[in-house]
Amino acid sequence: MIGVLLLTIRELRAKKIILGLFGVATLVWVVLALALRLDVIEGSLAGARLFGEEMSGDSDLTDELGEPALGNSLLETFVFGAEMFAAGAAYWVGILLALFATGGLIASMLQQGQVDLLLTKPLSRSKILAGRLLGVSVVMLALLTYLLGAVWLVMSIKTGIWNPRFLLAISVVFVMFMVLYSLISLTSVWTGSTPLSLILTFGLLFASLILAIKPLHEQITQPGRSIVVGLYNILPKFVDVGAHIVPQLVVGETVESWFPFVSSLAFGVVAYALAFRLFQRKDF
Amino acid sequence: MPASAISVKGLSKTYNSAFGKQEVHALRPLDLTVNEGEIFGLLGPNGAGKTTLVKLLLGIVHPTEGSGELFGISIRSPEARKAVGFLPENHRFPEFLTGRETLDLYARMSGTTDMDRANKSEELLERVRLTGSAHRRVKTYSKGMMQRLGIAQALMSNPKLVFLDEPTDGVDPVGRREIRDLLLELKAEGVTLFLNSHLLSEIERVCTRVAILKEGRLVREGTVEELTTQDRIWRLRSTPIPDQSLGDHAHLVSDAQSNGLSEYRLHAADRTALNASLDHLRLAGVEIESVEPLRQSLEELFIDVVEDAST
Repeated sequence: MIGVLLLTIRELRAKKIILGLFGVATLVWVVLALALRLDVIEGSLAGARLFGEEMSGDSDLTDELGEPALGNSLLETFVFGAEMFAAGAAYWVGILLALFATGGLIASMLQQGQVDLLLTKPLSRSKILAGRLLGVSVVMLALLTYLLGAVWLVMSIKTGIWNPRFLLAISVVFVMFMVLYSLISLTSVWTGSTPLSLILTFGLLFASLILAIKPLHEQITQPGRSIVVGLYNILPKFVDVGAHIVPQLVVGETVESWFPFVSSLAFGVVAYALAFRLFQRKDF
Repeated sequence: MPASAISVKGLSKTYNSAFGKQEVHALRPLDLTVNEGEIFGLLGPNGAGKTTLVKLLLGIVHPTEGSGELFGISIRSPEARKAVGFLPENHRFPEFLTGRETLDLYARMSGTTDMDRANKSEELLERVRLTGSAHRRVKTYSKGMMQRLGIAQALMSNPKLVFLDEPTDGVDPVGRREIRDLLLELKAEGVTLFLNSHLLSEIERVCTRVAILKEGRLVREGTVEELTTQDRIWRLRSTPIPDQSLGDHAHLVSDAQSNGLSEYRLHAADRTALNASLDHLRLAGVEIESVEPLRQSLEELFIDVVEDAST
């Protein structure tokens, strides 16, 4: 399995887009490190400059009682805000780019002439697919850890405020990427088509956007309502996780509901199980 | 009795169309044994089931019925492929790897140790004349180089059984001869080879046993000698046979050459009848230079068998 894992990592390294994503991540934290100037006096933020411009000191991060979230210093508010922005960018933009970058990996492995070479090695089919997925996971986790870890370090060193909960965003963003990748895996194993797997996955993201509009669940009449609610419960909740769970985790608030995350995870587990089963039975 | 490298009983593959309305019998129930140390050639026209059989043996497709074993281990188990090397037709190595990296990565998947991989890859690169190009990415390789790299890949894990699908495809005549020599060297080392090729002359030169498939069925199987020997016909070289002694059982193929010998075809039901005919000729004053069973080329046999099977 190590051989398949290494082959996948080499393949991703050969793709320019992955190098590009690492380049963008480097640019983000380097620019942040150079451009951010904070005047911190006795643990409080006296002033902040980004690219030399004075930034507004008002905080709009509050909890349900209207109190400033997680501490009352403006400095904390600023740090949480910046980290929330970084986690949001990694979630909303990073996942989409990563799906583009890795979307063709399963289908390329299944091409005639390449899959034959892999299947004739003394490896079970589960190990071959697992090795491929593990390779994708390792690279994506490394990319996320590099981006968010570096942002966290820069912010923490510059402000003296160490917010370890921010690092939880890495695992949530990673898990949601893998949940969406489960549909790419299933479609690729089934059809061998990269375009179709990407279309279906981005279609799923679009459906997630629509289904996340809660008033829609009330306004629509039966039997449409049952279908909409059913789909909402079954499909991954990309919007709900990104709009609620990630920010709440980053600023240290109690997560209102883990259902969107857990049900998305369940979708991923089922899709991977189907992909493995199909790969096991398929003739090439 | 030699141990069997490949043993197949009633192995078959049927594909169903999308809605299960139409069945395609890619391979009808097949019994076959390939002994250790043999070079076994599989022949057949396009669509005969050759590739399906290889894919079944290597776990690339699943059998509909029947069973098969490689060195006594079921083909359904990945363990069966531990002692196996494979060169697929139209193989595709990842273009971003160099020749050396390709050998290393695929051998790692076969469970070869670090030390063995390093030593073996240098030895095989030398053997297939790719040492000078080993550092280059495979996307810069010609078709012949890719084929030679594919053969090296198939041999990286010191396999006891090697499947080669069209090994000389895209290779120039010199390279073809080198591959043929390599196959004979492997045979001398005790490696069993399963060859799938359209180049019948190649098969004839290197294979010890041959099977011919047609429309998913095994139509002929045997040693090259057995298959190419024509029943009850002998080639006779002798001094000219007087017309009155020719009879029905012998006919002239070529007239007397400068050495005074002519060539005839002798028809005799069996060895006893052959010897009776020879005695008769000697009595007529004919001097016999040589008598040998008449053989047809594998290509002639192949065409005969395929045409027979289709009529």
